[in-house]
Amino acid sequence: MGQIAQYAINGLMSGAIYALIAVGIVSVYKATKVVNFAHGYLIMFGAYFYYTFAVIFPGMDWAPAWLASWQPGWMTEMREGLTMFSPMGAVLDWAANLPRIVFGLAGALVCNAILGRIIERVLMRPLMGQSVFAMIMVTVGLISILSGGAQLIWTADADFVPTIAPNTPLRFEMFGTMIFLFGADLVNMVIALLMFGGIVLWVRYTKGGIAIRATAEDQSTAYSMGISVPKVFSRAWVLASTTGAIAGAILATRNGISPSLGLFGFSVLAIVLMGGLDSYVGVFIAAMSVGVLEAMTQWKMGGDWAEIVPYVTVLVVLIWRPHGLFGQKEVERI
Amino acid sequence: MINANLKASYGADERVLDNRYKQGFVYGMIVLLALFTMGANDYAILIASKMGLLLIAVVGINVLTGYTGLVSLGHGAFVAIGAYAVTIFNNVFTGTLPAGIMPFLSVPFAVALAAGIGIVVGLPSLRVKGLYLAVTTLSANFIVIFLIEQEVFAPWTGGMVGLTTNVPNILGWELDTKREMFGLIAVVGLATILMAQNLIRTRVGRAFIAIRDRDYSAEILGISLLRYKLTSFAISAAFCGLSGALFAFFYARILPEQFELNLSLELVAALIIGGMGRTMGPVFGVIIIVMVPEVIKITFGAITGDAAGMAQLRAPLQEIAFGLLLVVFLLKEPLGINQITDRLLRAANRWPFARG
Repeated sequence: MGQIAQYAINGLMSGAIYALIAVGIVSVYKATKVVNFAHGYLIMFGAYFYYTFAVIFPGMDWAPAWLASWQPGWMTEMREGLTMFSPMGAVLDWAANLPRIVFGLAGALVCNAILGRIIERVLMRPLMGQSVFAMIMVTVGLISILSGGAQLIWTADADFVPTIAPNTPLRFEMFGTMIFLFGADLVNMVIALLMFGGIVLWVRYTKGGIAIRATAEDQSTAYSMGISVPKVFSRAWVLASTTGAIAGAILATRNGISPSLGLFGFSVLAIVLMGGLDSYVGVFIAAMSVGVLEAMTQWKMGGDWAEIVPYVTVLVVLIWRPHGLFGQKEVERI
Repeated sequence: MINANLKASYGADERVLDNRYKQGFVYGMIVLLALFTMGANDYAILIASKMGLLLIAVVGINVLTGYTGLVSLGHGAFVAIGAYAVTIFNNVFTGTLPAGIMPFLSVPFAVALAAGIGIVVGLPSLRVKGLYLAVTTLSANFIVIFLIEQEVFAPWTGGMVGLTTNVPNILGWELDTKREMFGLIAVVGLATILMAQNLIRTRVGRAFIAIRDRDYSAEILGISLLRYKLTSFAISAAFCGLSGALFAFFYARILPEQFELNLSLELVAALIIGGMGRTMGPVFGVIIIVMVPEVIKITFGAITGDAAGMAQLRAPLQEIAFGLLLVVFLLKEPLGINQITDRLLRAANRWPFARG
């Protein structure tokens, strides 16, 4: 029984990250009707930007020393007399990394936003009004461009990045068994959930969000109501690439950094279709359930079976409900 | 100008090669390929074989995507099934069956297996279409490769490390050189193109085109969507399986990672670059897809002089070039190279009058 709780919590934590990645695909789909097959590689770029600003730049000669490792006097004093592996030590380690974490996140956000804008401007906007097939295939071509580009800039070697939150191990009791977690994972989940909720609220209540929803409903009517549809498109892409940057940074802290990060995009694509392309609620439920299912599969059948869980579930769900769990059924005009 | 094209009977109008220019082109190509097989150097043979192997699979995906209008991003899986089926069949029946007739049993087995699995993968196409179908086929690709890599099936599939393949033996003639293999690939490749061209001329092919143009209208016309969509999946998977079988004969070893997403994307990209739903489309597309990385390799080698540090930049550059090709063609020439050649031929045909 206790094992189940442990794995369910692990599953929920990875589910939250899936949801954060999925929000980028859903937002772009809602605004532009394009399903971004290359979203995983956008995330990979976010991860690499985080790596560049948090590891490579602070390591350069011209970078100030406090950027690489922040050691004010009071911190050194506190460190005195601490035992090895104490929770406080982990927090202090994290605090020393804090400047470069913040610098890395900020850099990743800005760079990925610029990247998203460039992609929208150069590749997507000329295709406005073209067939959906052409737009999807452009994002497929983008996969190769981005993955080749990342290898060209950063080479294919794997590396590690500092975690976003203090990585203290936490132990507590739940349903009569010990649960063991890492603090950083918990904070990652909270960040992912907050961002997901924030975006849903933003789309629901702000002017920009309503413009996106109006464009999703009917593009030409949105145009005639004075909404600048091209602006909505670029806003959606920037939204997707910035959430992707955070998701990429989180993934990089969990799995290390390597070009294979891009493959996450495909399993998240499966999750998005499962939940229904235009429904935030459906996608959230799908992400969480796939996260838990993966953790359960990992527990019962071993780690490598977990990687095909999203693909099998999407096949089952789509045969049963062709538009996903909560997706809107398309009405076709003949 | 194209003239002397008068058809005096229905039979003449229904021929696969319905005018003399097409006949001349095809017979000329046969002669050229025969000369090429005998005279070309080993490097040219290797490149041409790569093109031939890819071509057979792209002709298959053309039936599905180009003519029936169903998008698939998972056809690499069928190439894998063809390659593995032919090798496993060979390994299981070595000794019980004479080597000389083995290819005549193992290749049909591989093609039939690929077609059967194609029907299973095609089942979602009855419920979902467009983008959803692209993702379900993509998922099928991941699942097939995953199953091949599993330890459970490792006694047959070899797991992650792959399988050593057999040399095909056609009635006692061992095709143990690349040149002989290219002869086989060229014959099969030409046959598949003619088969696809013939298919589109028939009732089945017309049903495919009707489904592509509007599936509901096709259904109202009395075309069974169930039957023809699955037929289309089976035919395209069969061509991909055939390509896989030859792939296994051609290379000394097959690995699961050769058939992953990259191959599926390459197939679709070749089709888009060449021109969807056109007979010559796959040919042009495959030539571009195979030649561009080679040209990059050669020019890159010439510029950097094979410096050790620079060699690792080559693979990413090839990948970027592949993506750029796909994107540029979609943005600038969505109907592919076939459209360009059509334009040129039309201009030549009307010269010296109106052009364009």
